[in-house]
Order: sequence, then structure tokens, then C-alpha cells
Amino acid sequence: MNTELEHSFVGLLEENQNIVHKICRLYTNNQDAHNDLFQEITIQLWKAFPNFRGDSKFSTWMYRVGLNTAITLYRKSKRTIHTQEFDNLQHKIKAEPYDDTEEQQLKLMYDAVHQLNDIEKALVFLYLEDKNYAEISETLGISEVNARVKMNRVKTKLKTILNP
Amino acid sequence: MDELDILKKDWQSSQKVFQQKSSKDFYIMLHKKSSSIVKTLLYISIAELVFWICLNTIPLFSSDSYKEQLNMVYKNDFVFYAITVISYAIILLFVYLLYQTYKTISATDNVKKLMENILKTRKIIKYYVIYNLAVGFIAMVVGSYYGIVNNPEIATDFNNFNQAQVIITFCLIAVFTLLFVGLIWLFYRIIYGILLRRLNKNYKELAKLEV
Repeated sequence: MNTELEHSFVGLLEENQNIVHKICRLYTNNQDAHNDLFQEITIQLWKAFPNFRGDSKFSTWMYRVGLNTAITLYRKSKRTIHTQEFDNLQHKIKAEPYDDTEEQQLKLMYDAVHQLNDIEKALVFLYLEDKNYAEISETLGISEVNARVKMNRVKTKLKTILNP
Repeated sequence: MDELDILKKDWQSSQKVFQQKSSKDFYIMLHKKSSSIVKTLLYISIAELVFWICLNTIPLFSSDSYKEQLNMVYKNDFVFYAITVISYAIILLFVYLLYQTYKTISATDNVKKLMENILKTRKIIKYYVIYNLAVGFIAMVVGSYYGIVNNPEIATDFNNFNQAQVIITFCLIAVFTLLFVGLIWLFYRIIYGILLRRLNKNYKELAKLEV
């Protein structure tokens, strides 16, 4: 039997599910892994939901729990296949006859982001979600200055990956 | 235009590209089991507690010779009971500390705090294992000393040893025990090393920023 709490949780989650999808997109490389991480984030959100007091937006609260799950709590299941090397190979092949169409560039960008480490991905994610440095530093637990410094390093790293 | 800004534009416009889950999917997911690292650590720490408690307690009830040996070592009942009470108090203290740190682990903390709390739990389990290995080491060395002294057959041979031989014998016992304890420690380090490799790496990455 579904309780009232479940109903309100599922309603909010269904509405905001793209946040979870986006985190999965950055942290996984295939559909199976995407679904696995999606499920774990949902479980962690549900477990933490009784403590959600509504003093922040549901979406903001989701960023925290979602990133915590992707970076720290989630243990990759056996089904998860690493396609990192495959991606790199693809990247190398495509990088040579460089095509400047936007779609091509986006594909390369996503591949490059996949090569970043977990913390760098979190910074990129929050940046893409248009979060300011105060929010980024609060979510990660680092100072605002360091969030800025790190973000600049990530940008440089991405440039290096894209233009070796 | 910055590369990331190109991505940002696409990112914010790609709202509908994901296969949307229905509320029915979510209801099913809520009742699935979590496979989080915290759960794994919790199971391991319970297993550690149970394992060491069994190792210390079962021989006491199942082996008469062990009991006799203990009686020889602890000629004084008071010492025996005092040691038993202290060792169980220490176990209870560890259970309490573990419970307290598990309670602080929350997915709504910031990323760094969450990692710190998980690592704190791992530290308590580590101290618990170190404590058990140290006690095990002392018990093995002291136990074998009393075993030798109180065993009539070995004691006769032992009386014929000169001082150097006695020292060498005990050194050998100590070295082998240490080796044995070291092996268990290594095994333990490898398990946690594998389990927490990613967490440690990410924590170092975040901590590095704060120097």
C-alpha cells in the first residue's frame, strides 16, 4: 500500500527526474549503468526524504543527494561495463578529421567530460546547471575560492583533452 | 565562446531527451534494495564484531582443555573476571561508537562531509581490528609461555635448555605470531583498499583543494 509520503515523494521526483537523468548521463557510459545509478539515487533520495524540511527547493536538495550517491555511495554493479577506453578510441579517431559542426563538437565535449574524474564532473554538472560558486562550494564542502580555482583548472583540462 | 558554454546551451535545452520514468516505475524503485557503500561497510563491521566475539567466546564453552589452560594462567579468579568484563566493555564501546558514526552518515550532507563521516566509520572498524590483533598477539605469546611452563612433558625439556635457547624459543614464537597477525592485517587492508579505493581517491582530490 502506498503511503501519503510515498505519493508526495513520487510526485516531486517525477517532476524533477531530469536532474537525476543528467547526473547519470555524466557519471555513466551506457544505458544499463545509467539505470543502475538512477535506481540507487532514487533509493537514497527516498531514504533521505523524511529529513527534507522544505527549507530549500526540492531540486536543490536533489543535487546534493544525487551527487553524493554518484560520487560516494554508489557501488558500481557487476553489470556495469566500462566503455571509457572505447570512448577514448572513438575520440581519437574522430579528433583527426576535425569537423566543426555543432553536433560533432558536442559529441566531443561529452566524451571529454567523461574523461574527467568524479569531483571534476561534479563541478561541471553544477556549472552546467547554472549554479553560482556559493552553491557549488556549499554542495561540495569546499571554499568558494577553491571552487573557482578548480573550475578554471577543469576548463583548461577540457581544452587540453579537446585540442591535444 | 567557452567550450563549456556551448555544452551548457545544449545541456539546458535537452530537457526531453531522457526516457521519462513513470510514477509506477518510481514506486517499484522505492522498494528495491540499496547497494550503497555504507550498507556494505555496515555488514562488514557487524561481521567483524561477530567474528571476534565468536573467536574469543566459543573456545571458552566448547573446549575443556582451553578452560583448564585459562585456569592455569589465571590462578586468581578475580583477574580472570576483571579481564572478561573489561574486554566485553571494550566491545560494547566499539559497538556504541560505530552506531554513533553510522547515525551521522547522511546523504544530505555536503560531499566532503559525507566522505569524512564514512571514513570515520572505517577508522573505528580499523581500531577494533588493531585492538583484537594486539590482544590476540599478547594472548598467543603469554599463552604459549604458560602452556610450556605448565605442561609437564615440555617443561622437563625446557628445564634442560640454557638461557640463550629459552630466549630464542620465545623470540621464534613471537616472530611467528607477529607474522600471522601481520598476514591477517594485510588481508584486511587489501579488502578495505579495494572497497574504498574510489572514496579515498575522491576524498584526496577534495582535500587537496583545501590545502
